[in-house]
Amino acid sequence: MTMITDEERLLEQTFAEMTEEVVAPSEGLMDRIMLDADHVMADMAPAVGSTAEPAQGIGAALLDAIGGWMSFGGLTAATMTGLWFGVFPPDVLYEYSTGVWGSTIEVPVLESDLFAGLEG
Amino acid sequence: MVQIDATLTDADLLSAFAAGDRSAALELTQRLTPRVMGQAYRLLGNRAEAEDVAQDAIMRLWKIAPDWDAERALVTTWLYRVVANLCTDRLRKRGRGVALEAIEEPADGAPSAAAGLQETARGQALRAALADLPERQAQAVSLRHLEELGNPQIADIMDTNVRTVESLIARGKRALIAKLSGRKEELGYDDDHG
Repeated sequence: MTMITDEERLLEQTFAEMTEEVVAPSEGLMDRIMLDADHVMADMAPAVGSTAEPAQGIGAALLDAIGGWMSFGGLTAATMTGLWFGVFPPDVLYEYSTGVWGSTIEVPVLESDLFAGLEG
Repeated sequence: MVQIDATLTDADLLSAFAAGDRSAALELTQRLTPRVMGQAYRLLGNRAEAEDVAQDAIMRLWKIAPDWDAERALVTTWLYRVVANLCTDRLRKRGRGVALEAIEEPADGAPSAAAGLQETARGQALRAALADLPERQAQAVSLRHLEELGNPQIADIMDTNVRTVESLIARGKRALIAKLSGRKEELGYDDDHG
């Protein structure tokens, strides 16, 4: 037979006191929980009772990520402008880069030899 | 809409909620919130914190509803675990010291204000001691002695076996006694037991 020590008895007593603490949930809590349920249900709504949409391909997902075709048009225009500036920089850019970096390095974009055989 | 009756299980109601039935959510809220709130309050000893935990736990239930697998666990078992985890996290963050303002006044009907405050102080001391225990010991002890669950149910909740639960409870209680034994007089135990 196991002897119960005073300390164990005191611990049991404290547990018993805490177990008797009954606290009913407030009406405010019940309302907040139902509000949460409504929000979660609203988020689930498109999946409930609707037909499944066809899965998106990788291309469509990438387009979505950058904002769709409209954004893609802007992106294309900006890219082409950058390329144009790289190949044929306006004078103002040439002067600016020289002022900032102190010197310029010219890198031929098109090697003339590539076209040598094409010239009649 | 599902006709709510007492024979519907919590899992049935959760499934109905996932299918868009608001009345199922209302029934679950009424069934589960008092139990969740009670468990959180007994562990935390503070109504505002207990309400936060209760709301958080049931919000997790709403979110998991579409994926709920009734074969794996009872809703109540799952909730006991979630609330125990949320409360032990909070107790740990709260640390050893318990702010005086966190100790609530005893409810009306207590034997006397002084005795009530002493009971509250004991509870807070025990909660602080629980916060110092390893998490699984604290959870096993609280489920056994505050929620008064049987060891097999605790084993389900903690996803372990009964023998481990027994060991966790025994070690947890020894540690609690060691932590509280130096505060017997301060907590008024001598008054009660001469």
